[in-house]
Amino acid sequence: MKLSKNFTNPLAANNPVIVQILGICSALAVTVKLEPALVMGLSVTFVTAFSNLVMSLLRNGLPSRIRIIVQLVVIATLVIVVDQFLRAYMYDVSKQLSVYVGLIITNCIVMGRVEAFALGNKPWDSFVDGLANGLGYAFILVLVAFFRELFGSGTLFGFDVLARFGYTNNALMLFPPMALIIIGCIIWVHRSINKDLQEK
Amino acid sequence: MAINKNSNIYIIIYTIVMVVIVGTLLAFLATSLKPQQEANVLNEQKVSIMKAFGEAELNFDDVVTIGRITDGEFVAVEEGDVAAIFSLLGNRKALTEAQNELPIFQLEKEGTTKYVLPIVGKGLWGDIWGYVALQQAEDNIVITGIVMDHAGETPGLGAEIATDKVQSMFTGKKLYNAEGEFAVRMQKGGAQNEHQVDAITGGTKTCDGVNAMLATSIGKYESFLRATEAEAQADTECCGECCADEANVELNNEEE
Repeated sequence: MKLSKNFTNPLAANNPVIVQILGICSALAVTVKLEPALVMGLSVTFVTAFSNLVMSLLRNGLPSRIRIIVQLVVIATLVIVVDQFLRAYMYDVSKQLSVYVGLIITNCIVMGRVEAFALGNKPWDSFVDGLANGLGYAFILVLVAFFRELFGSGTLFGFDVLARFGYTNNALMLFPPMALIIIGCIIWVHRSINKDLQEK
Repeated sequence: MAINKNSNIYIIIYTIVMVVIVGTLLAFLATSLKPQQEANVLNEQKVSIMKAFGEAELNFDDVVTIGRITDGEFVAVEEGDVAAIFSLLGNRKALTEAQNELPIFQLEKEGTTKYVLPIVGKGLWGDIWGYVALQQAEDNIVITGIVMDHAGETPGLGAEIATDKVQSMFTGKKLYNAEGEFAVRMQKGGAQNEHQVDAITGGTKTCDGVNAMLATSIGKYESFLRATEAEAQADTECCGECCADEANVELNNEEE
């Protein structure tokens, strides 16, 4: 029961991007096309899930004075693993993502979940929490990229969709501010549905 | 015996163990993935060169002769030297400084010969680079294709040099004007003759960088290109016995 709630909460009601407003910077940068957005989302999911798992396993023997440093080493290692794999097997996507893969290290969601959840919970719970938060982030990225690619380039995953109906591409959708506006709209819709999130 | 987890000894041992484990893991990973990563970079270079040739559907290894320009002469490189050529292409600083033994790619198809040269320069914010394909045509040398990329030019302005729209404008431009000077450039206010290309509005500094890149990079190959040009003219304009003489005269004129 608790486990399933751990999993569903970060996907909607407590989504890290649209409720906690974490990880916005990469959400603006990599959402021009669906493919890099999806890869970025899955990369972050991998890192949050396994950094939570590893830190939760280490939590009992961890000297509290150096816990932030240990967290950074674990997260940085996982990010380098992702980066190396992308360079070897998804070269084109890794070029599009450029520095943003490396910047997963500084993504607030990763360290936030390790510090707030993994250090006080069992490994399996922590893994699920990390997985769910990563997927919550990936979901928003893909949603934003869906609108930006569809209306900005008239394609989805590179396939022509709107172009065949005589649609003229809107270059404004490709600029970073549009990602912020779309995220704003998603937050608006989300808060209209979850009324308890609205500030009085 | 309870261990004091905040004692200095414990922390030092903990750190050392952690660093050794992580270091070993990453070193192993980097070494085992390196061949695949290098193959990706190599493949990208080959694809760019084929794109510059305008023959993206052909396989680089089947049709292209890799060569070097040594003292103005085309010399095909041997199998063992190919890796050195590609590593030079990947090293923009070394490529900028190279003055002799310059890399060049030759493609012969249906009786015409095209050459691709690497070009490298500086844009507004960082490096710009690419490949340009050249072909002998009548009394001049024309650009038949160009591929350019950049490290960090402004999106929508300077970064447009990486788009097909800008690159396609270079096709058919003649390298040398009537005075025999290198004349291809991105011209602010719009192209005015058969050598010029429209500059990008708002991307003037990047266009200046492209002009400098083309002039210096192609300039290094000038003696080779001039020789090709003279040879082609000799072939078309002369006949029989006079051929050798006229070609010589022409070469001499070029030198003056």
